[in-house]
Amino acid sequence: MTATAHSMQVIPVKRSGPVHWLRSYRAMLRWQLTDMRLLLPLTVMVQLLSGVGLVLGFGLLISDITESVALYLSTGAVVVTLVLVGVIMGPQLIAQQKSSGSYDFMWSLPVPRSSASAAWVTLNVFIALPAMLGALGAAIWRYDVTFEVSFMVAPAVGLTLLTGTLIGYAIAHAVPKPDITQLISQLLIFVIFGFSPISYPIENLPGWLATVNEYLPFYPMANVVRDSLTNGIVTEVGRSYVILGVWALGAAMVAGWVLRRRK
Amino acid sequence: MVMSDGDSAGTSAADWTFRAEDVTKTYNGEVFANDAISIEVQPGEVYGLLGPNGAGKTTFVKQIIGLLKPTSGRITLGPYDLVEDPDVARQLCSYLPQAQMPIESFKMHEAVHITGLIRGGPADEVRARGDALIEALDLTEWRNTMGHKLSGGVRRLVGYIMTTVWPGKVVILDEPTNDVDPRRRRLLWDQIRSLGREGAAVFLVTHNVLEAEKAVDRLAIINEGKLIAQGTPSSLKLDDRGRLRLQLMLVPGNGVPELPAIVHDSARVGNNLMMVIDEGDAAAGIAWAQLMMVEGIAEEYALGATTLEDVYIRLTGHTSAEPDGT
Repeated sequence: MTATAHSMQVIPVKRSGPVHWLRSYRAMLRWQLTDMRLLLPLTVMVQLLSGVGLVLGFGLLISDITESVALYLSTGAVVVTLVLVGVIMGPQLIAQQKSSGSYDFMWSLPVPRSSASAAWVTLNVFIALPAMLGALGAAIWRYDVTFEVSFMVAPAVGLTLLTGTLIGYAIAHAVPKPDITQLISQLLIFVIFGFSPISYPIENLPGWLATVNEYLPFYPMANVVRDSLTNGIVTEVGRSYVILGVWALGAAMVAGWVLRRRK
Repeated sequence: MVMSDGDSAGTSAADWTFRAEDVTKTYNGEVFANDAISIEVQPGEVYGLLGPNGAGKTTFVKQIIGLLKPTSGRITLGPYDLVEDPDVARQLCSYLPQAQMPIESFKMHEAVHITGLIRGGPADEVRARGDALIEALDLTEWRNTMGHKLSGGVRRLVGYIMTTVWPGKVVILDEPTNDVDPRRRRLLWDQIRSLGREGAAVFLVTHNVLEAEKAVDRLAIINEGKLIAQGTPSSLKLDDRGRLRLQLMLVPGNGVPELPAIVHDSARVGNNLMMVIDEGDAAAGIAWAQLMMVEGIAEEYALGATTLEDVYIRLTGHTSAEPDGT
């Protein structure tokens, strides 16, 4: 018995253009959602809990929390949640693909690299948004804060998520050894939690570290997200958008270069 | 059925010959993983790539699909330069890697269907062809089973279907029969043959010489990065015409005994010693084998026709039973 005939008489013209890109994007997103389906509900839940947990944890750390401090800390928690999804999940998943040998299969598929990457960013949005909403909800419920959400929330959250995801993605593809990727991921978490002014003002840092942080992506992320959710507690937002934009573009270029590179 | 969603460029009987010309791949400028390999394969041909562990077979096919870049040389398919344009290489070539497919979270039919869509096939045709292949390989009972519950052999076959549900002009199969049970192995060979009849050029990377002998139209033997022989199984066996294979099962713990002058080539796998002798020396061979048994060195012997395996041993100095990992 043989399968149905599959004629190869017709010349396959090279497929390209927006229709091919969209088709590929849809199929790759479907692949990635199905691939994650056993883990997706759990991943979303864990992210949601960590967002809520961060916000509630501040209340235990500081006994007499004022509304302005609560506003600062809970917007910080939102940013931490958004960044961690990108810089942890991407490297973990791709490291796993590399050690199991399925990496070669995934990247031999006939789709534009950018459509596969876009599907990956979309998946990250699905995971990060519930966590972000959870953190905001917890802050409202626990500290009775009022967020002043501006229309800039879309570009601010979008750019933060995109930059975090692309940085994680670029590292994961560029570093050949999966265990080294995991180590770099850990190092990033250490830098983000310990030495990035996300949940505290940048003025609290020693001068040189503050200068360094102005050019790293994490402080600008906190600045633009906080700006879009509150009124009048941050400055120099335009500069933060520029720096963040440069990081997003840089990470996209590195990821694109790594994915196109053939050893 | 067509495999392109835009075939306006015409349907003339174009030349779809696959050509690799002097493909060379070096690491650090000194280690030659591939050394000037030239191969020409026509549509419809099943072409075997045989060679021992580390010979450079997988390195070669990864350059076709654009996962690796040749240091020098050209790879073309019809009008397309696959090295210059890896995007078109991935569209025109389908690749089953040696590693298992990542389908733990997929039901069998989902893995097949979504891969077919990713490869650019229309949904209904992908579904029909996928189900036909699942049936042809006798996997229907697991159609709705999740990947993590499938055995290694079944997963291997699902990988084959994922690769060929909407195949390219070139289909590259790296050890497709690994872990597959003997009965489904035969079904798989039927499918691979029919893939050729449908017009695909099929590259079969394998270390299983005996299986390859029955399945391939032509083959190349690669050793230490070099293509050392190429042709049909029969043409490669020409040099062994008039020769026989003498097999000696050694008593465990014994070394290889001193071989008589009539032996042309020999190789040992485990306790199995394989030798090639001339037909005219058959009687002398049997007498020597019986002497080995009397002396307690061997347990039994067998005399038979030479196979491609003997050619392979002569050319590479290896037997195909050695584990493969390149």
